[in-house]
Amino acid sequence: MTATVQLSHQKKSAAPTDMYEKLRPKSKRLRNRSLILGVTGIVLGLLIWQILASSGVVSSTFSSSPIGTAGALWTMLTNGTLWAPVAATLASFGIGMAISIVFAIPIGLILGRAPVLRELVDPWINILNSVPYVVFLPLIIFWFGIDETSRIVLVVWSAAVPLLMSTIGAARNLDRNYMNVATVFSASRGYTLRTVAFPAILPYILSGIRLAVGRGLVGAIVAELFLGAVGLGSLVQVQTSNFEMDEAMATVTVIAIIAILINQLVGLVERRFAYWADSS
Amino acid sequence: MNDSSALLEVRDLKLGHHSKRNGKLSLAVSGLDFDIRKNELIVAVGPSGCGKTTFLKAVAGLHPVLSGELKLDGKQITGPGVDRSMVFQDSSLFPWLTVMENIVYGLKAQKRYDAAGKARAEWLLDLVGLAGRGKAHPSELSGGMAQRVNLARALATDPELILLDEPFAALDAQTREVMQEELLRIWQSGGATAGKTAIFITHDVYEAVFLADRVVVFSAGPAHVAEIVDVTFDRPRSPELKRSPEFLRQADEILSLVMSQSWAKERMVTA
Ligand SMILES: Nc1ncnc2c1ncn2[C@@H]1O[C@H](COP(=O)(O)OP(=O)(O)OP(=O)(O)O)[C@@H](O)[C@H]1O
Ligand SMILES: [Mg+2]
Repeated sequence: MTATVQLSHQKKSAAPTDMYEKLRPKSKRLRNRSLILGVTGIVLGLLIWQILASSGVVSSTFSSSPIGTAGALWTMLTNGTLWAPVAATLASFGIGMAISIVFAIPIGLILGRAPVLRELVDPWINILNSVPYVVFLPLIIFWFGIDETSRIVLVVWSAAVPLLMSTIGAARNLDRNYMNVATVFSASRGYTLRTVAFPAILPYILSGIRLAVGRGLVGAIVAELFLGAVGLGSLVQVQTSNFEMDEAMATVTVIAIIAILINQLVGLVERRFAYWADSS
Repeated sequence: MNDSSALLEVRDLKLGHHSKRNGKLSLAVSGLDFDIRKNELIVAVGPSGCGKTTFLKAVAGLHPVLSGELKLDGKQITGPGVDRSMVFQDSSLFPWLTVMENIVYGLKAQKRYDAAGKARAEWLLDLVGLAGRGKAHPSELSGGMAQRVNLARALATDPELILLDEPFAALDAQTREVMQEELLRIWQSGGATAGKTAIFITHDVYEAVFLADRVVVFSAGPAHVAEIVDVTFDRPRSPELKRSPEFLRQADEILSLVMSQSWAKERMVTA
């Protein structure tokens, strides 16, 4: 009698554990699967490229090849020709981003909380956002010359607008309920800003920064293509016009890696400071 | 109710909202008149949109008084104060803080977070049945648990008057029953939460009768007092009370009062 009871009891408790054990590795398997498939996809793409280039279906004079690109990348890394352009691009990108963040966020917060002011500048922000900023490039060059200043201005131009817009949206939709809680507890204005308004808005600002970083990087490269400066963008252009396709592709690869790394970094910051936002 | 001195005096109170579109004033409360004694648990019921939340916000100091008296301890309410706290209709826990950080938020905001405050917060966490969950985040809590934390947060500052705006409305019927019993248990537990004065808003007349010392029935908007019903069941009250004929009779009486208010709305406009 007791034995049967125990047995059925064991069976009952065994079932859910089994289910969980199936569930957990499955989700892990899925994550691993997408990683494996992603890497496989890249390798396959490179393989096809290599086969097309080696077999002469496409001329490697024009298309380079994965092996050629890897070789050029190694050479550029070891002989140091890569570092100056990387530093130059990162410098104009970094300075431009810093300026965008320092100005766009406070201005966005103010505009978000002041409806009259916001409605006054809203059409301007819309124009800046919808007209492709590249058309302003000749004007920017005319105003700021063809050196560093113009490149930074273009980064700011492309990054500050999306950041400004998402900050305005965040400040505008700041949840009244949260603010009311602080008010009911007689929290001071400064304390409310620091402990409620800022954390409530932060996730939206961070996703604005993510957007701005992408646009800012494009801005930095575009500026170099037009202004023929020392950065990675102009390096690609110079290498292409010299028919150094392996080197050009290697530089593109470096740009891609930098873009991905910066995005990962922003994602890391988002997970660290706004971890609660996706679940609520 | 040995101490029957009025804690909150409401005299010919008028409250309103200015429309965002045209700035026109619409009244939410007009000619509201009643007293709340110390240590009373008052439940306010009334038709939807009649002005209950507006009234509660005015008591909290979140909403300006147009005219009339709204006096706490003999002093007109002109803004929020450390003597009041509020549990909002929708769970308004800060999702970026842990459960414990939420509970002590008021104490920290009022610069009163010391060893005693810390001990009180721990005690409250235990009282609302969440001992050991202090480091959890609100997103990890069920709706019922979240409202317990909300309650603990409101109690943490040891307010004289606690305002609850339909705190259990979003919960399923079963959890709501449990929470009502929990609230009474906390209320009747003695110690640091004993004998608090409270205003509790609800649409649920059974909840009203189960919790209240007195039920204030608001008229259709703009709200004034339609009726005040004394609920004299002994405390501590147990869940069985909800099945007694006298309980059901009183709940029925209040329900028909609220219903008649909803129907009377048209005729009430000029009153
Ligand atoms: N922010 C606001 N701006 C303008 N009018 C408002 C505002 N909030 C509420 N009102 C109006 O004031 C009146 C009373 O609203 P209130 O929220 O106090 O009602 P309530 O009794 O709490 O309703 P419910 O039971 O549905 O919660 C309603 O007619 C509502 O339309
Ligand atoms: Mg309401």
